[in-house]
Amino acid sequence: MTVASLPDSAEALAARVREARASRTALRIAGARQWLDAGRPCRVADELSLAALRGVIEYERGDFTITVRAATPLAEIDAVTAREGQWLALQPFGSAEGTIGATIATASWGPLASAYGTPRDQLLGCEVVTGVGEVVRAGGRVVKNVAGFDLSRLMTGAWGTLGAITEVTVRLRARPEVDRTLAIVAEGGADAFCSAAWRWLRGSPYAPLAAELCSAALASRLGLEGRTLLLVRLGGNEKFVRAAEQSVAALGTTVDVSAEVWTRLRTLEPAASAVMRLGTLPSELGTVWSAASRVVERAGGWTHATLERGVVRGVVPLGDGESQHEHIRGIIEQLHAPGSRVAERLPAPLWDSMTAPAGDRLSSAVRRTFDPDGVLNPGILAPLS
Amino acid sequence: MTAQPVPVLGGSHDEGLARALAAIVGERRVLVRAGELRAYESDGLPGYQRRPSLAVFPGTRDETIAVVRLLAERGVRYVPRGAGTGLSGGALADDVVLLGLHRLTRIVSIDADNARAVVEPGVVNSALSRAAAPYGLQYAPDPSSQTACTIGGNVAENAGGPHCLKYGVTLNHVLAVTALLPSGEIVTLGNAAGEAEGYDLLGAFIGSEGCFGIALDVTVRLVRTPQAVYTLLADFSSVNAAAEAVSAIIASGIVPAALEMMDAATIQAVEASIYAAGYPTDAAAILLIELDGAAAGLADDAERVTRFCTDEGARAVRAATDPADRARLWQGRKKAFGAMGRLAPHLVVQDAVVPRTRLPRVLAEIASIGRRHGVEVCNVFHAGDGNLHPNLPYDASDPEQAEHVHHAMKEIMEACIAAGGTITGEHGIGLDKLPYMDRLFSDETLGAMCALRSVFDPDRRSNPGKVVPVHSCREWHGAPSARPRSA
Repeated sequence: MTVASLPDSAEALAARVREARASRTALRIAGARQWLDAGRPCRVADELSLAALRGVIEYERGDFTITVRAATPLAEIDAVTAREGQWLALQPFGSAEGTIGATIATASWGPLASAYGTPRDQLLGCEVVTGVGEVVRAGGRVVKNVAGFDLSRLMTGAWGTLGAITEVTVRLRARPEVDRTLAIVAEGGADAFCSAAWRWLRGSPYAPLAAELCSAALASRLGLEGRTLLLVRLGGNEKFVRAAEQSVAALGTTVDVSAEVWTRLRTLEPAASAVMRLGTLPSELGTVWSAASRVVERAGGWTHATLERGVVRGVVPLGDGESQHEHIRGIIEQLHAPGSRVAERLPAPLWDSMTAPAGDRLSSAVRRTFDPDGVLNPGILAPLS
Repeated sequence: MTAQPVPVLGGSHDEGLARALAAIVGERRVLVRAGELRAYESDGLPGYQRRPSLAVFPGTRDETIAVVRLLAERGVRYVPRGAGTGLSGGALADDVVLLGLHRLTRIVSIDADNARAVVEPGVVNSALSRAAAPYGLQYAPDPSSQTACTIGGNVAENAGGPHCLKYGVTLNHVLAVTALLPSGEIVTLGNAAGEAEGYDLLGAFIGSEGCFGIALDVTVRLVRTPQAVYTLLADFSSVNAAAEAVSAIIASGIVPAALEMMDAATIQAVEASIYAAGYPTDAAAILLIELDGAAAGLADDAERVTRFCTDEGARAVRAATDPADRARLWQGRKKAFGAMGRLAPHLVVQDAVVPRTRLPRVLAEIASIGRRHGVEVCNVFHAGDGNLHPNLPYDASDPEQAEHVHHAMKEIMEACIAAGGTITGEHGIGLDKLPYMDRLFSDETLGAMCALRSVFDPDRRSNPGKVVPVHSCREWHGAPSARPRSA
C-alpha cells in the first residue's frame, strides 16, 4: 500500500473495512506502529492505517476537554495542553510518540492512574469504524453523559477488535500549581514497607498524584540510589504540598527528585521487553511484590508497583534470538497473583501460556456483533478459533 | 415447594405466572390487584402512569435468581425497579411484570483496609455512606435522592450528584458487578480484586438502565472522608454573573467538590418551603460551592474561589459556620425539587449537559425560551459539570399549558444539543427522552446500541421499549456473512 492511499476520514476507513469484509481480508490496525509487536499475534493480510488521522479537532481551554483524531501522538496533545496549563493525565508507559487512539484501544495507563484513573475514566466519547464497516459515534464532548448505552467504554481496551477508533474526546486536568516528587528509600523488608506505604495512602488526607514503588534495579536505572524505594508525586498548592511532604516523611527519609524521573520511568524500557502486570488487593500487595521482584530481578529485569491500584508491573528486556523464549516462559510461569495476571508485551510464541481475556461467552458475542467476519485484528484478544 | 393459592386475581396478568412467582417469594410479595399496583404506576418522572401487569418483590438473592429464571422460561417481559426515584420514566412498567429489588438491602461486606464494599442492589445510597463512616470512608456519588435511591438503581442509571464534579460518577466507583442476565445466567463483570482485562462489559452494563440485566451484588470503591470542608454561598444579582463565576473557578484549575447553581425562581420556592435554607430571596442566582480535602491549603483555595465570585460581581460570599449550617445549605439544594412541588401540580425536569464555557449563553437562551412560551423555568443544577436541570412547573390538566411546556422543553433540548451538549447527564433516557435520541445519534450508532443490547438480552425482555427507540433497532448487520454495501 502506498502512502498516498492512506484513508484520511472515517468514511474512507469504513469503505476499506467493507471491502475487507467482502473479500474476507483480515486487517491489522496501525497508528504510530508502537504496539505492533505487542499483544497476541494476529493473522492478517493487510494493514488498516490510521496514520493520516492526526491533529486536534477542538480544544476549548475552559471546557477542560479536547477532541483529537486518533493517530495524534500523546506528545502533541501534551504540548498543546501544556501551553494552557493543562494536561491529559494519563501518561502511559511507553514512548510519547504513541497515539491517543492506541492508548484508548489498549487501555494503557501509567503512575498517574493513582489519582486520575485509567483511560476508561478519562474518555468522554469516540468515533469508531466498526468491523461491520459503519461509522459509530459514541458518547459526546461534555464531561457528563448517560445518553444511550455506553459504547465508548466498550471500545476502551478492546484492542481495535470491535472497531478502529478514529477520533476521541478526553477530559483534561489543570497541571498542579506545585508539582513535587520525593523518593523514600525502603528501610527494612520491602514487604513491610509496601504495607506501610499503602496504610499511609489509605489513611492520609494527602492523596498524591502518583505513588510508585520501584525495585532496586529500577531505581539504579532511574539514576537514583540502587535500593527499593517509593516515588511519591505531590500536586496542589504550596501549603498542601508542604504538609503532604511532612506527612509522607513518616515512611522514611525523603529526597527531592526531579519530575523528569516520571518521563524516564515511562520510557526506559526497550520496546523488546516482556512485560507482565500482577494485580491484587492493595493491602496484599507486599506479598505479590516480594515474590515477583525476586523472579524478575533474577531474570535481569525490574519491577514497580502502583500501590493505589494494587498492581505490580514486571519488565524483562529481551536479548536477541529465540533461545530466550523458553527462559522467559519459565519466568512467566513463576509470576502469580490472586487478582489478575495480565501480559502487556510478550514475544509472539509465548502467548499460548496466557488465558485469553475475551474468551467468555458474552465477550465472544460482543465481538461477533461488532466484527461479524473477524476482519479487525483477529486473534489479538483471544486466540484464533 | 408447593404453590400457594393466590387470592382474588384481577387485571391483565397471567394467573399461572402469579401463582408460580408466589411459590418463590410468598404470596404477600406478589401484587396483582389494581389498587395495590397503583403505587407502582409511576416513578420519579411526573405525568406518566403505566400499570404493571403484576409486581413481584424477591427478598433474597436466591429468590431473585429463581424469579428471573422463571420469567425467562416463560418468555415474560419485566421492568427492574429499585426505589422508583428515577426521573426519566425508566422504571415504568406498561402491562409487563415489575420486578422490585428494594428488599435486597444487605451490605455484604466493608473492606476498610482496601476502601471497598460489597452491597446488594437494594441498599440505599446514603445507608452505604453511613455504614462506611466509622472507617473514615464514604461512597462518593450522591444523587439528590440519596436518602431513598438504591445502589442498584444508581448502577443502572450511572448516577451522578453534586459531588461528582470532583469525585466522578457511578462508573468511576464500581469495581465489579455480579450480574443476572435476563436469561437467568449469572456473570461477573469487572474485577473486585485486580485489573479487569478484555472488553469492558462492566462499563457497558453501568448505565444500561436495566436493559442488560440486574445486579445481584455490586463491589464499590469508597473514598476517604475529607479532613476539612468549606461550603460557600455566593449571592449574585444576575444569572450571567454567576455563570461567569463558574467559568472562572473551573478555569483556575481548582476542582471544587461541588459547584451548584440555583436561580431566583428556585431560591424563592425553597425559601417558601419547609426546606428553607436561608438563601437570599432577592438574589438573581446563588452558587453553592464546596471545597474539601486536606486541611492544609484548603483555606487558600476558598479565598481564591471567593475572589473569583466577587470579581464577577457577587454581592456577598459567606462560608457555612458549622456542620449544622452546612447541612441546612445543602438541604435547600437537595430538596429543591420537592420545594417546587408547591408551585404547580406537575413539574418536568430536564438533565441536559453543555460545555461549561457555553453556560452563560445557554442559560440566557433557556430564559428567553421560557418567556416566549409563557412558562416558568426554575434552574437548579450542577454548574461545575455544565449539567443543567431546568424545571418547568405546570398543570398537566390544562392542555394549553401542557402544550406550551412541551414546546419549551423541546426547544431547550435543541438549544443544548446545538451548543455541543447532550440530552442527559445523569437521569438516563428511560421513556422521557426517547424522542431525542434520533437528534443526538446517527442510525448507525443507535443500531450499534441495539445490537449491544441484544448480546445481553436477545429477546429484549428486560425493560422493553426503553433507552433506544424501537424503530432504530433495525437488523443492524445480521448474520456473520459479508454483506458488502456500496460506499
